Amino acid sequence: MKFSIAPEPKNGLPLALIAGLTAVILIAISFAGLAQSASAAPIKGNKIVALTPFSANAMGTMGVMPRAVGEVLNTSDTAASFVPAIESGIRGRRIDQLLLTHPNGPNLEKLAKLNPKLVFTSPQWSKGTSAMQSLGIKVKKSEPITLGGIYSEFKKVAKVIGKQKAAKRYIAKTKAKVKKATAGIGARKRVMVILGVGRTPFAFLNNSWGGEIVKRSGGNLLTGGASNSSGFARISDEVVIAADPEVIIAVPHAIKNDIEGLIEYMKTNPAWQETTAVDNEDLYVSTDNSLLQAGVDPAKVIRTIRSQYLKNN
Amino acid sequence: MRRTAIVIFLLVALAAAVAASLAFGAVKIPVGHVIDILLGKDAPGPEVRIVEVLRMPRTVEAMVVGAALGVAGALLQGSLGNPLASPDVIGVTGGAGFGAMLIILLYPESIHLLPVSALFFGLLAAGLVFIIGFSGSTGGGIGRVILAGIAIASLFSAATAALMAAYPDRVPSGIFFLVGGLTSTGWETLETVWPYFAVGGILTCFLIRPLDRLMLGDDVAASLGSKPRLIRLAAAAAAAILASAAAAVAGLLAFLGLVVPHVVRMAGGTNNHTFVIPVSALGGAVLLTAADTLARTLRAPIEMPVGPFLVILGVPLFLWLLRKAV
Repeated sequence: MKFSIAPEPKNGLPLALIAGLTAVILIAISFAGLAQSASAAPIKGNKIVALTPFSANAMGTMGVMPRAVGEVLNTSDTAASFVPAIESGIRGRRIDQLLLTHPNGPNLEKLAKLNPKLVFTSPQWSKGTSAMQSLGIKVKKSEPITLGGIYSEFKKVAKVIGKQKAAKRYIAKTKAKVKKATAGIGARKRVMVILGVGRTPFAFLNNSWGGEIVKRSGGNLLTGGASNSSGFARISDEVVIAADPEVIIAVPHAIKNDIEGLIEYMKTNPAWQETTAVDNEDLYVSTDNSLLQAGVDPAKVIRTIRSQYLKNN
Repeated sequence: MRRTAIVIFLLVALAAAVAASLAFGAVKIPVGHVIDILLGKDAPGPEVRIVEVLRMPRTVEAMVVGAALGVAGALLQGSLGNPLASPDVIGVTGGAGFGAMLIILLYPESIHLLPVSALFFGLLAAGLVFIIGFSGSTGGGIGRVILAGIAIASLFSAATAALMAAYPDRVPSGIFFLVGGLTSTGWETLETVWPYFAVGGILTCFLIRPLDRLMLGDDVAASLGSKPRLIRLAAAAAAAILASAAAAVAGLLAFLGLVVPHVVRMAGGTNNHTFVIPVSALGGAVLLTAADTLARTLRAPIEMPVGPFLVILGVPLFLWLLRKAV
């Protein structure tokens, strides 16, 4: 008895069939590759929703308007936190604003109605990512927390919209501006940056955007050696007394009218009362998002921190 | 003998927890130095401020709040005859949570009013529960009070959730209040709320014997000259005052009020309120002081909320006693 795992070809027909099938598979693979490279082609702005201010501003800086941007519920004038091109698009109703709620991000029905191909999102809305993907939308995270991250994220956004040359120009220009803004820093003041209100504020750590930008501005960020993947932690008031910050910057998610009341309240904090920051009235409240989220003009933020808070110009 | 041993054990545990709370923190201060500071022998400086301004008030707060919640739970479980009774049941937790989040989310510029707002809304919620639960011909029944409590607590919880949805970016500021945790506020908060602890405590002293009579059943208690409805209302009111004041200081820590009286009853083998109420106060003080010390030292300098540590310390003991009792 003769065993074989496949019938032996009796003539050339099966061989031709195998060759034909192989050719079909190869052609299919080639088309799939072509389709993939086609999807890497630039996406038009009106097919992109930029939920993070960074991605929206990066697009605006390169002259491309997204279909919609994100808007956090009950925050003061969000349009003003964008670059002029995006701001005028919002005010002129050429760019929609999608309300963002924790932890899902935008309303999915409203997002689906805009029919975007791609959404730039933030890790804090990651719970909504799979739902967006199930709607056939590509999702990319775009929320840098370091200066280096700004440049690489800018490149990423530029690649998506086909503006790589503009990105190169922006990066070179921004690096020069940052170099100028950080020049001439002398003694580094001890700075504590806190998030939130009340007696249990969170401290900005080294791996937060606010922490990075304060260090770049010449501040010696006080964290008590704490580390946390989120970039924020509630640090002990004992550390505050021991480290004696010279400057305290609060980011309370408040509006400008609240500043005076919050500063007065912070001065009464028993742990802070005798710090150099309180003694010298170097206690500040920042009501915009410049320390919370990376923008496309970090040099401007550095200049503001140096001139208004650290006074080390 | 067994009960005396429990009291002695808790007194020793309290002394140890207080000593640890004063000695340990994010900044290392030698124990001898801490003792010198407490005896007033040390010159002013950062370490003196750390012990006097931060650790001492916080230790006292932990003892007072723990004791108040232990007593509040014992009062509610005794008066309502329900083992699941805790400050949640009479709406205090829901009300205080709403009061705190109202300030944190809507009026951050008035943040100094947080303890007052938590206290006010905690008492308001309890007041509403009492009006609904104790009014009408069937008023004062245990089932009616508990159902009224669940309804009012749900109302305030829904309002809190709505506030949090409306101001999502401010929510992190309120997390520590919602999960419960002491803060280093010096004596400020205690100075505001101590009269409520005092009133609740004094009221409790007068309720110990009537609650023992209530344990015999409403009919027997009435035949002995007691007024079950009035006792129940007074006990619930005292518990509401204590729990609201505790929430104003340390946020929402209802777990403590639920578990401590049970542990005390099971360990002591008695339901007698002459034993259960003071020992619940002692047990609550020990548990919260120890849990707070762990919460602020385990990952120092990061401070963690105390709620999970209460559970870690309290649940194993509770389950062990429960198994023994079964």
